[in-house]
Amino acid sequence: MSQFLSSPIMHNIFAGLAQGVIYSLVALSLVIIWQSTHVLNFAQGAMAMFASYVGMTEIDRGLNYWLCLVLSIFVGLLFGGFTERVLIRPLYGKPEINAIVVTVGFLGVLEAVAQAVWTSTTRNIATPLSQIYFHNQGRLVLLSPFVIFQFALAIVIMLFVAGLFRFTDLGLQLRASALAPEVARLLGVRVNRMLTIGWMLSAAVGTVAATIVASGSFGLYPSDMDGILIAGFIAAVVGGLESPVGAVIGGLLIGLAEQFILSYWSADLAPLGGIILLVVVLMLRPQGLFTKSVSRRV
Amino acid sequence: MKRLALFANQGATSSRLVGVLLLTLLTLAITFVLPPVADSQLASGAAISIVVLGLSWLIGWSGQISLGNSGFMAVGAYATGIWAHHHASSPIIFTFVLAMAVGAFSGLIIAIPSTRLRGPYLAGMTLAFSAAIAPLAQNYTSITGGEGGLFFNTLTTPHWFLNLFSGQNATIDANAQWTADLAVVVAGVTFFFMANLFHSHTGRAMRLVRDNDVAAELVGVNLPRTRTLAFVVAAAFAGLGGSLYALINATVTPSTFPLTLSITLLTLMVLGGIGTLSGAVIGGIIYAFSSNLVGHINSLTGINPTSNLGANMQGIIFGILLILTMLFTPRGIAGLGPRFGRLVANRRRVAPLATGE
Amino acid sequence: MIRVEHLTVNYGAINALSDVSFEANPGRVTAVLGANGAGKSTLLRAISGLVAPKSGDIFLGERSILSMATENIARLGVAHVPEGRGVIHELTIEENLRLGAFASEVDVRAGLERQYELFPVLGDRRKKYCSTLSGGERQMLAMARALISDPKVLLLDEPSLGLAPQVTSELMNLILELCHANDLTVVLVEQNAKSALRISHDAVVLHLGTVVASGDADTIANDKNLRHYYLGLVQ
Repeated sequence: MSQFLSSPIMHNIFAGLAQGVIYSLVALSLVIIWQSTHVLNFAQGAMAMFASYVGMTEIDRGLNYWLCLVLSIFVGLLFGGFTERVLIRPLYGKPEINAIVVTVGFLGVLEAVAQAVWTSTTRNIATPLSQIYFHNQGRLVLLSPFVIFQFALAIVIMLFVAGLFRFTDLGLQLRASALAPEVARLLGVRVNRMLTIGWMLSAAVGTVAATIVASGSFGLYPSDMDGILIAGFIAAVVGGLESPVGAVIGGLLIGLAEQFILSYWSADLAPLGGIILLVVVLMLRPQGLFTKSVSRRV
Repeated sequence: MKRLALFANQGATSSRLVGVLLLTLLTLAITFVLPPVADSQLASGAAISIVVLGLSWLIGWSGQISLGNSGFMAVGAYATGIWAHHHASSPIIFTFVLAMAVGAFSGLIIAIPSTRLRGPYLAGMTLAFSAAIAPLAQNYTSITGGEGGLFFNTLTTPHWFLNLFSGQNATIDANAQWTADLAVVVAGVTFFFMANLFHSHTGRAMRLVRDNDVAAELVGVNLPRTRTLAFVVAAAFAGLGGSLYALINATVTPSTFPLTLSITLLTLMVLGGIGTLSGAVIGGIIYAFSSNLVGHINSLTGINPTSNLGANMQGIIFGILLILTMLFTPRGIAGLGPRFGRLVANRRRVAPLATGE
Repeated sequence: MIRVEHLTVNYGAINALSDVSFEANPGRVTAVLGANGAGKSTLLRAISGLVAPKSGDIFLGERSILSMATENIARLGVAHVPEGRGVIHELTIEENLRLGAFASEVDVRAGLERQYELFPVLGDRRKKYCSTLSGGERQMLAMARALISDPKVLLLDEPSLGLAPQVTSELMNLILELCHANDLTVVLVEQNAKSALRISHDAVVLHLGTVVASGDADTIANDKNLRHYYLGLVQ
């Protein structure tokens, strides 16, 4: 057993999944707002980066790591709500290019402001959990307390989102607002408020991913979510953009694909894992892996 | 009837030719009075305006969105660098044709799996493509020079042009201006080509596809082919612009065409005005002189240009402008002209007839 | 209960309703009749705040609900079953019903039980998705969902659309029964004038956006000209 956990293939699987859950969270956050507002938010990664800067750098002022994490997520919530109210709401009913352009512009503003305020130097956030990999009978296992926490946090967030949508009154109203906004309005659901809440929720989920990135080995820097947003987007498309489960699985698949390319081909080409997966999926099943209806709006 | 239409069309073609020619000549004349630094900026602006024009055509006329045009630029630039490395003495026109062909080919590669995608899907797909260029360039070091990139000789200024200059910095002045003039002429040719494309059968089919694809299909427009064609043209323009851009800077590296350049291109196009020739010209001018503009804003507001904030002012201003333009005047600066015209016309109590785009 | 005064609605240059006035009262079914394009649905959509009228006023009791948000009108007790029923197919029957309860303070569980009693076919399949229901069952669900919030006003847009005559007849009887039992103000928009007039107390006939007749349902049902020209009823 111990030998198995230390085998090269398990190394790759652990490392791939550790990166994959980050993509999964971003993909999930994109799906949440895609379902409700049909906006693909290109600033999703930058918003999460920004919120994690605001929250995580409080560690400099002696704030406890866990409180920084909570603060980041809270800032993410507010940020998501603000974005929907101020930037996105005027665009409902306009051509979809308008929302794309505005979110791309927002991405530019956020990264430039982050560089202006915090500089582009990478910051490493000290976590109370060790990032040193376990050893099992002298053999390396590519898991550390931090990686296990990362998996646990991601799973908790995903279960929370799933539970919220599936079992609560708020979730039911969120789903109804996304599926049939006019009917929901006729039934007294405050749809505008639901759209704002959807964006808040989505931004918070994205922020969780950003805090994991910031705490990990790559650290926190203004463009740290660029590549992750692209991978998250691809994961969401691979999953069908309508399916939260598909988004999560898509993210894990991309993490694994990148890791296997890195191990067996070239480290430089690892970022192509997602694109290769995307092209394969688009060729074989253009509506995405997990979409039930064939007539997807593409 | 057909004959008549042909004549009318020829008339329009020649008037477009005159328009583009006049603008090109005017810009060429301006390069004679500008200092070398401004000439170099103008050259970059001309190169970028070609890319913006291609993007404007793609978004404004075919309704497809690309965030990957910096990737097509990179492809054109690398093609230029690799060609220049092996065939340094070949005429420059070959380089441009090659860069366009390679750009068009990469556009085709992206367009084929993407023709079934629309809107945000397409935008994301093209973004992923532009993000893939840097890893590829880093990996295939023997061709691309890896992290350090490729360097090539600056454009050779012909003797007759050098002879126009005298004085201390004659060579520097002449080189800067020759580069600018070359870029302006290339831009002029592409603008003339695009002006005709806008009003061609293909251009009209493109609009129809954008506005109503079902109707377009009913009148016999081949949707995938038309969409692919739009992509290929935009990518060829980006390849050409990237080639010029690399020649002006005499280098291309994996970081020459970052993700933020795609954002900049989009900003310039939106600011100038989507789907218009004048919009692309305005976009190019803004790009060329944006650093002066930002410097001016910094000095007006008392921001230290070497401070963190000063160094990032351009990104902040561009982003905010992009958002504000899209929220309040989605037709950009080029759209303000007709709007202003209508305003004046209304004041005079004349029937408000829009004077074209 | 619902009073519409001089209502005019335009869709761009097209005049959908002009100077429409009528009243619907508690415990009575008011039929709104007319051909396709007469403006019947627009009238209901204006009452619910889904379209903004150009002029005129709409009162719920003594209160003007003009320019109020749709969800707030719903929360005042105006239940609107839209054309095509508005059942959300991707949700289960119970989820659809729960959704209906948000417009009011009623206890969700008690409300659900009440509706399952009224419509046993829904109770038996509460966890099933609505895509498994027949047209008639979907109409039942839409009605139940509207009723769960204990509304004062029920706006029904073409409830008989696509239903077999037998089912339509049962549905109409049910509407009348509910109207009497709950002292509901029912506004029934129908193209099927015959079925609607059978259970209505009052009726309004629209033609190209204007009221051509209104008053007692029996009188309208017996007016030869109206029957012939506007209601498509031939002897």
